[in-house]
Amino acid sequence: MRRSQLSFLFILCGIILAAAFPNAYAADAGFEELRKNAAQIKTIQADFIQKKSMKILTKPLISEGRFYYTAPDSFRWEYLKPLKSIVINHKGQTKRYIYSGGKMVEDQSGGAQGMKVILGEITSWMSGKFDQNPSFKATLKEDTYTQITLTPVGQNMDGMLQKVIITISKKDAAVKSVNIIESETSSTVIDFKNTQTNKNIPESIFQDIE
Amino acid sequence: MKLASLIICIFVLSACQTLPVITQTTPPEKTASACPNPFLKQKTTLIHAIEVHMPGGIKNAVIGITEADPATRAISCAIMTVEGMVLFEAIETDGSLDIRHALPPFDSAHFARNMIEDIKLIFFEPRGKIEKIGFLPSGETACRWRTGNSDTVDVLKTSGGLPEVKRYSGSGKVKRYIKFSGFTGGFYQSIELRAQELASYTLFMNLVEARPAEN
Repeated sequence: MRRSQLSFLFILCGIILAAAFPNAYAADAGFEELRKNAAQIKTIQADFIQKKSMKILTKPLISEGRFYYTAPDSFRWEYLKPLKSIVINHKGQTKRYIYSGGKMVEDQSGGAQGMKVILGEITSWMSGKFDQNPSFKATLKEDTYTQITLTPVGQNMDGMLQKVIITISKKDAAVKSVNIIESETSSTVIDFKNTQTNKNIPESIFQDIE
Repeated sequence: MKLASLIICIFVLSACQTLPVITQTTPPEKTASACPNPFLKQKTTLIHAIEVHMPGGIKNAVIGITEADPATRAISCAIMTVEGMVLFEAIETDGSLDIRHALPPFDSAHFARNMIEDIKLIFFEPRGKIEKIGFLPSGETACRWRTGNSDTVDVLKTSGGLPEVKRYSGSGKVKRYIKFSGFTGGFYQSIELRAQELASYTLFMNLVEARPAEN
């Protein structure tokens, strides 16, 4: 379970990191331009609202949180509601914290090896290389919004992920949402707001959990 | 030889525990309505933030979604990570279990069956016959059900007025212990389930949302 769980989280983080390069897509230049401009992004921070839809739910389950990234590989993905949890990746170490007994405690259920493998897998996304990860096929669609669709190649994500649609505003080139479609009846939409890039993020964000 | 027999006898006897004595006040059929009833009254969808404590001090957190209908005893349930990944999804209707989605280690029928039984114990009034209604020596109001599978279920009300459920095995060992607390808006806000198994576990369930489900 741990590896699957963390795979999903890191896929999610990787997609969002890759998608959160606002200026990268402004020039309508395709994947190569996107990759080139991604290198200019040093930090990203944003609030997010996650809407989980499933057949069993008559209305989506709403989660809220905050996300921080500092190049090259520090990130903090934090849920504030309804269940507090934090994943921090910093200086080659990845830790997950859950809320237990009135405080945040480190998740000790293992999976460190799985994390390393998965982190390697998403490095290309972090570099804005949508079209260079052999695990996904990437396509572009231009409409009112720009849409990047990532479809898993092969069977290692069967039952976990069908496709991911990243929607980018043409007006301000900011990422509007990420739609993770797991199956016909299950999807996760993450809407971003208050996105800021290249604004200083203290290192303590990746060290302190409170 | 005698010593060996004695040791075996002591071992066997110590494995067999006895159920706590309920001092019966009146015949059960006359006072069944006085039994504590923390169970669902109508078909309801509930979302819980669940802390899972496992052996070795391992803790994890998941979100549990349950749709439970006390009239038909049908259950739909799902477990997902905080990040939104669905780990397990199943439906049980008329005793027939349909696992819709399960990632390892949730993909065993044993896990699914145990989980459905835990959900039923939490949300549904026990099946079977009320055997005794009265008081435990410690003063709690207690109703005892004898279920079809030789287990016994006690539904208690503590001196503080909070309900508890205990399921005993045929040998009298407590297999499940459930405590309800924080009754607001028609639902208990916190539920604690302690499971005594080969690999024991405790669930701390905090209610995120509850609403009547559509039929």
